[in-house]
Amino acid sequence: MEAESEFKEYYAKNMRGISGWFKARAYTIERWLYAAHRITGILIVLFVLAHFYSTGWHPGLWWDALLGIIVTFHTANGIRLILAELGFAVGKPLLVKKPSQRPVSIEGVQRYLVVFALVLFFVLAAIWAYYALVVQPMMG
Amino acid sequence: MSSEEAKEYALPPEVLEETIRASEELWKPVRKIKFRIYKYNPRKDYAPHWEEHELEVSRGMTVLDALLVIKGEMDHSLGVRYSCRMGLCGSCAMMINGKQMLACQTRVLEAAGDGDVVELRPLDNFPVERDLAADFTSFFEKHKAVKPWIIRNDEVELNNPTGPYKQTVDEYARYYQFTDCIKCGACLSACPTAATDYEYLGPQALAQAYRYMVDTRDDGLDVRIPIVDSEHGCWRCHFAASCSDVCPRGVDPAQGIQLLKKLLIKRKFGFKPHKPAEALPAKVKAERKE
Amino acid sequence: MRESTVMFLHYITAILIAITGLIHLLANNDPGIGAVIKANSALYFGNMAIFLAALLYHAFNGVRVILIEMVPDKCWTKWISWAVLIVGIVTYAVGLQVLMVALGFA
Repeated sequence: MEAESEFKEYYAKNMRGISGWFKARAYTIERWLYAAHRITGILIVLFVLAHFYSTGWHPGLWWDALLGIIVTFHTANGIRLILAELGFAVGKPLLVKKPSQRPVSIEGVQRYLVVFALVLFFVLAAIWAYYALVVQPMMG
Repeated sequence: MSSEEAKEYALPPEVLEETIRASEELWKPVRKIKFRIYKYNPRKDYAPHWEEHELEVSRGMTVLDALLVIKGEMDHSLGVRYSCRMGLCGSCAMMINGKQMLACQTRVLEAAGDGDVVELRPLDNFPVERDLAADFTSFFEKHKAVKPWIIRNDEVELNNPTGPYKQTVDEYARYYQFTDCIKCGACLSACPTAATDYEYLGPQALAQAYRYMVDTRDDGLDVRIPIVDSEHGCWRCHFAASCSDVCPRGVDPAQGIQLLKKLLIKRKFGFKPHKPAEALPAKVKAERKE
Repeated sequence: MRESTVMFLHYITAILIAITGLIHLLANNDPGIGAVIKANSALYFGNMAIFLAALLYHAFNGVRVILIEMVPDKCWTKWISWAVLIVGIVTYAVGLQVLMVALGFA
């Protein structure tokens, strides 16, 4: 009886649950960045805990490059989020709207900020990969 | 109007013919579309099930038109909520092929795209009332929680009004965009935070809070701050921007929430956006005195 | 503490992590710049102390945000905040000692 009422409640509430965080299809790129930011954040916390537990631990060579992708994505997207969330890149409210107005916060200055964040991500990830794959092995 | 005048204003026959032809073209059935409709009554059913109906649709047919045909001719028990049929009331928001849209403003062929299936579900993250209708009780409670009305402290003026409150066009432009909200629930439904956090105020309520906080006639900034600056308030927004993406009225709630955060940080450092507007001496009253 | 204070510090620590973390990375991965940075070990210790504090605040506040979105219940929210705060302070105390040993201050 208990199980049955829970089953009913699940469908009556119709909440997407944690899968709703990652339902990015059909929406704009910001939704993908949101999902990726959350996943990379959790992965970095896991890495940091391991890095503390046996001091200075890091996964080594190719895994280091992967760690670089995770950390640099979180950094580059974080810069975009700080600017956007403190209201600096989302534009001003409109006084006149077109019949099917697209949101200014998505398709205004913020679009350039997304491009900037992605470019910064690739550059930083490339530099990190260079250090992880070339400089680190030389240092021994 | 005399018959001569009527002749003058009448369309030339070839234009009239063309208009009639175009109109017939718009409503001529062109393709067979399969509708997958979510059927669930939480008071009766153990689990939801899907029902499929095939319908010949025309170019001008909206999803709501199709639903009304299905309700009238195929399945009388279909639960669907609508009222104005022109995107002004916000009753018919639903998931159309996995995205929050107004059924009355989405044409079937537009929603189907290249495929021939249109999948209809009630709004995500809202309790189901029946079939395609969602329960908006908590949504409206969240809207009420941010005190969406003008708060004033000048009792003398309120009791004996001397005129309208002063407001320039620039001050009006700060909040006009957010007044277009029709409370269709699409933004809260699209919000990833709302997928787990049922306490979250949601894009609609937070955008409305911002709309009243920057209104120059309003004096309730410090009354609303404890409400929107709570653990389930505006800081649970992480700018996934889906709310603005799905908004059928171009309200852009994501922008409102980010500006609200900026306002809260500025308030933390002692900044207040405006002084409450003064009343203009009314012309009518002055004339009456003389 | 108001949520806006918590989240404003979240952004401030994010910027601090980007700066101090870069110094930490260069010190350990670039032989040339690393020698210059590690020459003054007191300053590098200061950098690491700030980095550790900012990183722990940012990481544990991030975990708290995710947890209270997952479990929005009022009572749980309070307990999550306290638990995360205590775990964070303990981790910082232990981490600072490890740093002092590693950099030769103890």
